[in-house]
Amino acid sequence: MKYDVVIVGSGPAGSVTARFASEGGAKVLVIERRAEVGVPVLCGEGISRKIDAWKIIEGKRWIAGKMDGARIYSPDKTCVTLSAEQAGNETGYVVYRDIFDQELARSAIKAGATFMMNTQATGIIKDADKIKGVRAKRFDEEIEIQADIVVGADGVESKIGQWGGINTRLDPKDLETCAQYTLTNIDVNDAYCDFYLGKEIAPGGYIWVFPKGKNVANVGIGILASLSEAGMAKKLLDDFIAKDPRMKNSSPIRFIAGAVPVANPVETVRNNLILIGDAARHVDPITGGGLTHCLEGGKIAGEVLAKAVKAKDFSQDFLSEYETRWKEAFGQKIKRNYLVKELMLDMDDKTFNKLANALKDVKFDEISTHGLVKEVAKHLPISTKLNALIKHRKEIKEIKKK
Amino acid sequence: MGKPKANVDKKKCLACGGCISVCPQDAISWIGNKAEVNSEKCISCAICIRTCPVGAISGEVLA
Repeated sequence: MKYDVVIVGSGPAGSVTARFASEGGAKVLVIERRAEVGVPVLCGEGISRKIDAWKIIEGKRWIAGKMDGARIYSPDKTCVTLSAEQAGNETGYVVYRDIFDQELARSAIKAGATFMMNTQATGIIKDADKIKGVRAKRFDEEIEIQADIVVGADGVESKIGQWGGINTRLDPKDLETCAQYTLTNIDVNDAYCDFYLGKEIAPGGYIWVFPKGKNVANVGIGILASLSEAGMAKKLLDDFIAKDPRMKNSSPIRFIAGAVPVANPVETVRNNLILIGDAARHVDPITGGGLTHCLEGGKIAGEVLAKAVKAKDFSQDFLSEYETRWKEAFGQKIKRNYLVKELMLDMDDKTFNKLANALKDVKFDEISTHGLVKEVAKHLPISTKLNALIKHRKEIKEIKKK
Repeated sequence: MGKPKANVDKKKCLACGGCISVCPQDAISWIGNKAEVNSEKCISCAICIRTCPVGAISGEVLA
C-alpha cells in the first residue's frame, strides 16, 4: 500500500487536511481506529459562526441550533451577557458533531481521499531515521502503509507525535478533563450558551449548558486535571444537575467523557511528518474550543502537503510553511489566551464575582474571548494586575514584542 | 508486595484519551478502543487515576 499522505485520525482536522491535499492532487489515505467517523461524539458541540465565511462545510444537517448569545455566571451567580443583538454580529452554532464530522469526511472523499475504518495505528515505519509510513492493525490484521508524509490527527492522546520525536505529553495543568450529558426534557428554551464558573462548581474550568433544540441541551463540565481527583468531573456535574431546577425532570440520552488540551502549541513539523488539530494542541486555552482551528489549520496543512507532493520535497524545511501559516492564523491568539488562562487560575471566586459585577451591564461590541478579555482587563483589581506582571513578565514581553 | 499499578476498568472507560495524554511514561495505549496500561512501564504516579473524569482507573497491586 503506497500513498503520498497517510492521515491518522478522521476528526475535523484530519478530514479537512485530506480534502485540501486531495484537491491539490495528492494521493491521500485516512485511517480511523473507530468503526464510524464522528462516533462516539467527544465534544461540547459549540462553534463560532465565523465558519460561515469559510465555506468549508456544506449543507445544514449538522446544525442543531443557532445561538443568540452567551451568558457567563460568576460563583455568586452574577450574570454577564454577551448578546448577538447588542454586538450586531453573529455568535455561534451548536452542532451535531457526528454529522458535522461525517460531512467533512464526505467532502474529503469527494475530493479523492480514501478512508479506512477500524484501523488503529501501532507505530511509524522508519528506514534508518527516515519516516516511511505507518504500521497499523486493521481489525486483527497487521498492515503496513507506505507514505511520504505521515499526518498525526490522532487527537489529544496523539501517539504519532511521540513516535515521530515530538514531545506531546501534557502536564496535568494543561489538560481539561471533561464529562457531558445530553439531557432531554430540560427546561431550557432560549438560544443562549450558559457558562458557570467557580472553584466549587468546576475547579480550573467551567460547567456549560448548550441548548441543542427545544428542551434538549448538552450539559457538561471541564476541570483542570491538576486539580482533579478520580471521577471528580462526573461527580461535580451530577451535583450541579441535581441542584438545578431546570433539570429536575430531565433525563440523559447520551453520556460522554472528554479530554481537552489547554496548552501552548507544540512544534508541528518534522521531516516527512506534521501534527494537526488537538494533536498539535490547536485549542483555545480559555474556552477549550478547537473546531475553528481544525478547519483553518486543516486547510493550510492540506494546501502545503499538496505543494510538497508536487515538489517531491517532504523535508521539515519545506513543510514548515504549514507551521508559519497556522502561527499567523491563530498561533498568537493561543499563546495570548494561554497566558490569560494562567492568570485566571490565580484568581479566587471573590475576584470573579467582583469582575462579573463590574461587567454585568456592559454592552459588548464583540462576542469573542478577545472582546471579553479586553473588558476584563479594564476592570481587574490593581493587585491582580501587578501579580500577573511580576509572575508572567517574560511571557507578556514576548507576546507584546510580536 | 510491589507498588500499585494503574488499571483501567474497561467497562467504565469512555475512551476520552485523557489518561494517555498525561502519562509521563507513555505507558497507556488504545487496545480495542479502550485505554490499557502497560504495567511494566507504569511508575505508580497515579496521575491518570486522578485525571479520569469517570473514575475508571484505580491502583492495583499485582500478584
